[in-house]
Amino acid sequence: MGGLSYQERSLWASLVAELVVYLPYFFFHHQNSLNKVAGMIFAIIVLQIILQSIIAAVTRQRITDERDRLIQLHGYRAAYITLATLMVCGLGMLWLHGHTHEGEFLKHGSFFALHFLNVFFGMLVISDIVKTVTQIVAYRRAL
Amino acid sequence: MPGLSNTIRELRAGREMTQQELADAVGVTRQTVIAIELDKYSPSLETAFRIARVFGVPLEQVFQYEGKGKK
Repeated sequence: MGGLSYQERSLWASLVAELVVYLPYFFFHHQNSLNKVAGMIFAIIVLQIILQSIIAAVTRQRITDERDRLIQLHGYRAAYITLATLMVCGLGMLWLHGHTHEGEFLKHGSFFALHFLNVFFGMLVISDIVKTVTQIVAYRRAL
Repeated sequence: MPGLSNTIRELRAGREMTQQELADAVGVTRQTVIAIELDKYSPSLETAFRIARVFGVPLEQVFQYEGKGKK
């Protein structure tokens, strides 16, 4: 970690926090629940605060320059493209599902609502991870 | 960055200046200085002028543009 800038360290910490919190949620929790989503949001906030505080404490130089801002924009662009693509796919899936299972939708409406809430939350998570990874790659390629 | 090259490494070596010292003088990170020296990142005009000012030389002595274009 010695040769990494403050921004890079911060990005690696974000990636670790995202993977530690999001992956177990999406791979091991099979029951959808609003409480679990709330718990996950709480966990990511707490973990980010802890990790970012540690990095800020051990890093002497915490300046941000024009290249950092450019890389940040690259990350947000990649995340936007990912999110927009996933949203279109998700909405198409929702439309298709509603079209073919209309009766089930009316019968188990709340279940489907929670299911799709999870799907759309998953899209946000994927976009966030894409943003972080894009920024890390840009730093590694010395953009 | 194709077409744009610079002599920052040589100018630094001539003044026995480290990348960190140059970064501090210009107000950027050491990683940005490394990226500029390797021609991987094209700095803004403002940063380019600041680099030239630190070395006390004209801009065209630090950065050279060899790309194709109208003259």
